[in-house]
Amino acid sequence: MAVDGKNDSLTYTNPAMDLMARLPGVDIFTSTVDRLLTWGSSNSLWMFPMATSCCGIEFMASATARVDIDRMGTIVRGSPRQGDVMVVAGTITVKMAPRVKKLWDQMPEPKWCVAMGSCAISGDFYRDIYSVIPGIDTVVPVDIYVPGCPPNPEQLMAGLMRLQEKMRAQQRGEWTEPEIRPETEKMNTQPDIRRLLDDERDEGISQAQYDGSCSLGMHGNEHRRHDQVGNPVGVDREQGVEALILRAQAHAQAMEALRQEAAQEFAAAQAAKEAKAKAAAEAKAAAAAKAAAEAEAAAADDDASVAGDAADEAPAGDGETP
Amino acid sequence: MTTAEKVAALTGTEVQELETEFVVAPEHHFALAELLQSEGYTFYITVAATHFAGEVPNKKNPEGSPETFQVATVLRKPEPGASSFACWRVELAAGEPIDSLVPLFEGADWQGREQFDLVGVVFKNHPDLRRLMMPEDWEGHPLRRDYAIETAHPPWR
Repeated sequence: MAVDGKNDSLTYTNPAMDLMARLPGVDIFTSTVDRLLTWGSSNSLWMFPMATSCCGIEFMASATARVDIDRMGTIVRGSPRQGDVMVVAGTITVKMAPRVKKLWDQMPEPKWCVAMGSCAISGDFYRDIYSVIPGIDTVVPVDIYVPGCPPNPEQLMAGLMRLQEKMRAQQRGEWTEPEIRPETEKMNTQPDIRRLLDDERDEGISQAQYDGSCSLGMHGNEHRRHDQVGNPVGVDREQGVEALILRAQAHAQAMEALRQEAAQEFAAAQAAKEAKAKAAAEAKAAAAAKAAAEAEAAAADDDASVAGDAADEAPAGDGETP
Repeated sequence: MTTAEKVAALTGTEVQELETEFVVAPEHHFALAELLQSEGYTFYITVAATHFAGEVPNKKNPEGSPETFQVATVLRKPEPGASSFACWRVELAAGEPIDSLVPLFEGADWQGREQFDLVGVVFKNHPDLRRLMMPEDWEGHPLRRDYAIETAHPPWR
């Protein structure tokens, strides 16, 4: 039905698409061609390997004669321009992540991403390290998770077959459930930065990732804010080394100042402790002197009756003990 | 005059044998490497820097100790049938630079960059002192003792 009084046949923004939708028989033709294209692309998934560590070995093993993943039509290509599937196999560090995103942006549509192994899925036991990102899905969208540490070649093959089924289901227009991110070890704590398509992901992160790609010189050097030693652009390299030495000395002085402060605190604490101990000792000495004076006074008072008391008490004590 | 005696004369320290690590003052570092290179120690093995965080005065250590760095350098003398090593150590105060050995050994280039990146020792006369492993705009040096592993890092840009 028309919305806002417009013609309801105008369902496409492109008039050519609208014409195709209205002509009889064209939809049958395009859907057939679409099915044909999906059949072809799902049986020729060319992989672009983003293999950074031991998962890359299993990735290589999947191309050997025993598994022979080539029979599915998945040929490994070394160029992102020729790849359909990016297989992220291995730990991705903070330095590597913008490069991964850069290569992902260079791949032509349609494209898919397979996270292979625990490190690419969640960072796993490198998750808490300062230089490792907690899963590749914080940077690029992931279609298929292949769990394992590292996964077998057969598991990678099963993941690619899952991807093929997903592509066919999407061509048929069926709803495909998003992949559930498998739980690996150390998944108890959520990362600071949520994955893509997460409701709790901060809005500024994508912009920050774009800015970071800019700082790599991806979109022109004018966005590069710092040179590679962290000095502002325009500082000469000779001055840069001098600046480094100055910065190291300033840091050392700051640390030394902190240490002096701590030393003064420690000295003050020691002095307070000694004063307290001295006061306690004085009080103890005064109490002892007072007690001694009292004892002397008591002794002087009871001096006369001591001999008689002792003579009376001694036999009574002997009688109580059996 | 043996090499060990020459080294002892140059640095003013007692050197029994070169393979046992001995401590050298920072001003003798470059001259010592030059001497050893002329004596046949032409193969640059490694450089390793270590950070010692120092201590504020406490119960066990009432005096406290300052923050220092130690830089160990290893050279090798390749000979047919056998080889020997020379290994020495330089103690640096915090913020003190050390002479780079790149004018003598080309292979000291990236090794110095690595130590600068991770520990923060500044090498003088280094042709290209940039970060090697961490991202270009990273702040701090991760292998220092006072670098907390929970240090917040930027959202990987």
